Amino acid sequence: MTVRGRDAMLAPLQDALREARADEAELWVHRRRSAITRYAKNEVHQNAVSDDTHVQARVVLGNAVGIAGANSLDPADLRRLIADATAAARDSAPNAEWPGLAEPAPAPEARAYDPDTARADAASQTDAIKRITAAVKARGFRAAGTHQIELTEDALANSKGVSQYAPSTMAYLRALVTSDTGTGWAEDLGWSTRSLDPTAIAAQAIEKAAVDRDRTQLAPGDYEAVFEELAVAEVLRFMSLTGLTGQTLRDGRSFMAGRFGEQVTGPRFSLWDDALDGRTLAIPFDVEGTPKRRVALVESGVAKGVVHDRQSAKWFDTRSTGHAADPRRYSVGGHAGNLTMAGGDAKREQLIHAVKRGVLITRFHYTNTPDPKRATMTGTTRDGTFLIEDGRISRALANVRYTMSALDLFSGIELMGPQRLARDWWSSNGMGAIVCLCPAIKVARATITGSSPL
Amino acid sequence: MQVYSTDARTDTARYSSGVPERDSQLADLVDLGVRRGAAYADARRVEREYEAVSVRDGEVESVTRSGDRGIGFRVIHRGAWGFAATDRGDETSLRDVVDEAFARAEAAASTRTAPVALAPIAPERGEYRTTLARDPFAVPVTERIALLRAADANLKGPHAVSRRGSVAAYRTRKHLVTSEGTDVRQEIVESGAGVAVTAVKAGAKPTQRYDSRLTRQTGWEFIEHLDLAARATRYRDDAEALLDAPLATERPTTLVFTPEFLALLVHESCGHPTEADRVLEHEIAFAGTTFMWPKDRGALRYGSEHVSMTADATVPGGMGTFGWDDDGVPAMRTRLIDRGTFVGYLTSRETAAALGMPVAIGSARAEGWQHFPIVRMVNVSLDPGIGSYEALLRGVADGLLLEAPASYSLDDKRQNFHFSTQSARVIRNGALEGYVRGVSFQSLTPAFWGRCDGVADDWELHGFLSCAKGEPLQLMRVGHGAAHARFREVPIEVRG
Repeated sequence: MTVRGRDAMLAPLQDALREARADEAELWVHRRRSAITRYAKNEVHQNAVSDDTHVQARVVLGNAVGIAGANSLDPADLRRLIADATAAARDSAPNAEWPGLAEPAPAPEARAYDPDTARADAASQTDAIKRITAAVKARGFRAAGTHQIELTEDALANSKGVSQYAPSTMAYLRALVTSDTGTGWAEDLGWSTRSLDPTAIAAQAIEKAAVDRDRTQLAPGDYEAVFEELAVAEVLRFMSLTGLTGQTLRDGRSFMAGRFGEQVTGPRFSLWDDALDGRTLAIPFDVEGTPKRRVALVESGVAKGVVHDRQSAKWFDTRSTGHAADPRRYSVGGHAGNLTMAGGDAKREQLIHAVKRGVLITRFHYTNTPDPKRATMTGTTRDGTFLIEDGRISRALANVRYTMSALDLFSGIELMGPQRLARDWWSSNGMGAIVCLCPAIKVARATITGSSPL
Repeated sequence: MQVYSTDARTDTARYSSGVPERDSQLADLVDLGVRRGAAYADARRVEREYEAVSVRDGEVESVTRSGDRGIGFRVIHRGAWGFAATDRGDETSLRDVVDEAFARAEAAASTRTAPVALAPIAPERGEYRTTLARDPFAVPVTERIALLRAADANLKGPHAVSRRGSVAAYRTRKHLVTSEGTDVRQEIVESGAGVAVTAVKAGAKPTQRYDSRLTRQTGWEFIEHLDLAARATRYRDDAEALLDAPLATERPTTLVFTPEFLALLVHESCGHPTEADRVLEHEIAFAGTTFMWPKDRGALRYGSEHVSMTADATVPGGMGTFGWDDDGVPAMRTRLIDRGTFVGYLTSRETAAALGMPVAIGSARAEGWQHFPIVRMVNVSLDPGIGSYEALLRGVADGLLLEAPASYSLDDKRQNFHFSTQSARVIRNGALEGYVRGVSFQSLTPAFWGRCDGVADDWELHGFLSCAKGEPLQLMRVGHGAAHARFREVPIEVRG
């Protein structure tokens, strides 16, 4: 994959802005080159690459804002884009709470970028998959999954002199192993292909699939539980969407509303948003050009803060934390997309050993929130749900439906493992844009409300 | 081939420098693919335009215009698919796209034990355009804002803390050329609108009332037909009433669903599990599989005798309506559930061939030029019954009317689901009474549809803008028709 670089991305924006006739103007470009290899039944069935350059113009006349988008950096197209945004601003009405575009401020260098990963080709993606399928076939099982490599380049310039550029890469390798009786899942995620270990992924998924036999159904009720990292990321997603932004706070929908400084969950739970952590997937500025800051959200169970973009910062008379999100995906008001949850040092075996009788959850499928105010999540488990008895996995379970407030779940944290990069189900294919550094946890109580058939 | 009339404007794309239009460009790409040894090649140019106006709390929140344009190129080479797409139209970029597609096909081929096969189709040529009376892009923005402000005024209630309304227009132009002689062009125009209100009162759970499914493949006349102002009044009244509504009582009870609610239930519990790529495990790692396997066709009891469901890409105005799918298969109609029995799948050419079916039913769809076509729903609908809605209600001594879905969650086989509702009304002795809150239900799919003892005749079409599937994500427009329907002895859960 070819990196276009700072000058190639920024110069057309700056040239176009010089011709803009507006009180304020901004151009943001997000180039995404996505190469994805999907496999099923040990064979690649879809192998695709696309290269797309999305450009968004925001033009301000008075306090009226117009937005236009296209996918070309050609000078004539950028002029047309600014003209369209200007026309949209004329059609729009003044926003009395318009915060103005961002002022220049230095952002740290991009850390989540690896040139070797950007150059990975189709053969290297298939080779990684072959290492998984070879191991899986040797056990008489079949494998499915995805190997995805992305190169993104973000550039932003505005009429106040902001000029930001950052490349980033993402490498994602996932394996679902299916036996005649069950399934097992494992994956690696990082900003470098060096983070991916196909051999280990295959081994972990095979181990779970091999144990997933002779399933039984679990009766509804409260159980001790071990949530692996992907399951924790799923729960964190709902905290983010329902309670950690200026918008949800303003609407009174956040579990934080009116409760800052209060204990909202257990003392072992701490959460912050930190795009600057070198382990996570992020660029160091947001889509308004504001440098991202680390934001404490919950500390030792006490509500501390939410993230803001420029609009929500204006609402709350504070400054943006650098959490403006792609408006094609999230509404105005901030988005907490780089969650880091405090972890511990317990090994997986220790988490399981601490359970007298409970359930181990690998990951969830198609979750949702029937009670946003309590950050309640419901969803069914998949690809590794086991009964734990007397500190060891005793048998496989049919997938269960879990329904519980995240605040209640995290109140019961008793042990935590080390942090690991993980994405919830929704974010794993791009439906969401949240990435978590989070631990596996052992909790005192998880509420199971149903079971799938055997 | 079906040709529709249109009043839609047909000017060139707004942003044209990136991929200049040249009639022979797609054919040249396909020819190059064949010369390089592809067993099959197709090239698809897609241009998309979007305009939206949103009003928040009475003020214009945004006026947005966007568009994109590019070419996707697909080959079967050495028995495997390769796909590459670009937003650039220069010769170098297009040569790179061909190289990339072949490289990806070759890499994939090294893993395959059998070549990809396609169900046969005859070459198609023609043009499809949406039927519309008034181009939604041509409606003055001031008119759109005035309509939204009128609706917003009706959303105001004593406890409303957030009010939103929006209207949107979409236009997609597609041109597909294949190495088998297909050459089809389509221009699809869609119109949509939505209103939403959030109400908050001390000591009560916040309530929300919204609709995100008011879309149709037609012109501005659909927005006028919606009567957003009246809908806003209803949503305001619902949201205010629900703040003080008593909790429902947990019990098995009779549920009547609105067509709007059933549209989503059909989507999630019939549309998805009849997608053939789930059967072939292409989606097993992300979207999941199904509980409706080939051996079950003609045998699996999916629901009661009142339940028939149909996939139909020819429904006028449907968000899943088109002239041809992205395999070049013409739009058609097929039965999925016949009086309670599972009978059919949604298929692409590849999945039809893999399942030994002689004909693909035209369900290969890609969100944009960037995307590889995969099996998607078209318009999947619950067939209407014969009695009226009022007659259906009269058969309920004690039950609930569930008006619109809120949260929903499903397992990876689409067999185990959980839905909650924005608004539930009490039905007593055949008449609607007040509201109750906190209602949700979970069920297994065949058990749920097996409880259906009546479907009314007031069938109406709904449209979804963003059915999510695939890796990377592809959002797809789909349509769903339904009428009011009644379900007996459904256990409901109640959360305060």
